[in-house]
Amino acid sequence: MNIKELLHEQSILIPLAAASKNEVMEKLVDALVASGAVHDREAYLGALHNREATGSTGIGFRVAIPHGKSSGVTKPALAFAKLAEPIDWDSLDGQPVTGVFMIAVPEAAAGNEHLQILIAISRKLIDDEFRERLLAVEDAATLNDLLGAI
Amino acid sequence: MIKHETTIRNESGFHIRPAQLFTETAARYASNISVTVNGTSTTVDGKSILGLMTLGLSKGAEITITSDGADEAEAIRALIELAESGFGEN
Repeated sequence: MNIKELLHEQSILIPLAAASKNEVMEKLVDALVASGAVHDREAYLGALHNREATGSTGIGFRVAIPHGKSSGVTKPALAFAKLAEPIDWDSLDGQPVTGVFMIAVPEAAAGNEHLQILIAISRKLIDDEFRERLLAVEDAATLNDLLGAI
Repeated sequence: MIKHETTIRNESGFHIRPAQLFTETAARYASNISVTVNGTSTTVDGKSILGLMTLGLSKGAEITITSDGADEAEAIRALIELAESGFGEN
């Protein structure tokens, strides 16, 4: 699983100014629509909200991984936002979120594609230095270097 | 120290939500908790959500939960029950 291949240039928002978790999600969905990965904005957004309703995707460490499987998704993709200001995400550790990875998977995707993407992201996030650099990232080129480095 | 084997039962595997539930449950106990993927040397801290997520276990994966400490029996009972319930999913 190569994260970089899933992360289209148009789906990287650094920095993203937003006032709420909902606004962050909407902006990221718009970016996925712009990159051609999502064709039904409302359907995919609905899947994301349904998922958040079962429990926050704020995993702690100031990172959130909202994700949804939906027929509104054309192809598996990833979007990333570094927030201009930290936002509350009801995270496990109570800390506000600065970095957001959004995972989009088509409804018809074979079995465990979302799991493969999640593994790839987690394997990077578990590294303290990666997290520190990720949350300090200032442009898409640096993000790409970072994702390719480990 | 006690060990117990179990199998991942929920369709969508061990993704964020199950990892959260597992770490939340593990954190209620003082014992050290670890999870090993059977047949491999891969072992992670059962109180680390990222550690558990890196395992990316899919349905049918066999794991061994190890609990070590004063409340090891209660801890492992709660974690096995959680895994066997499919983490509240199906």
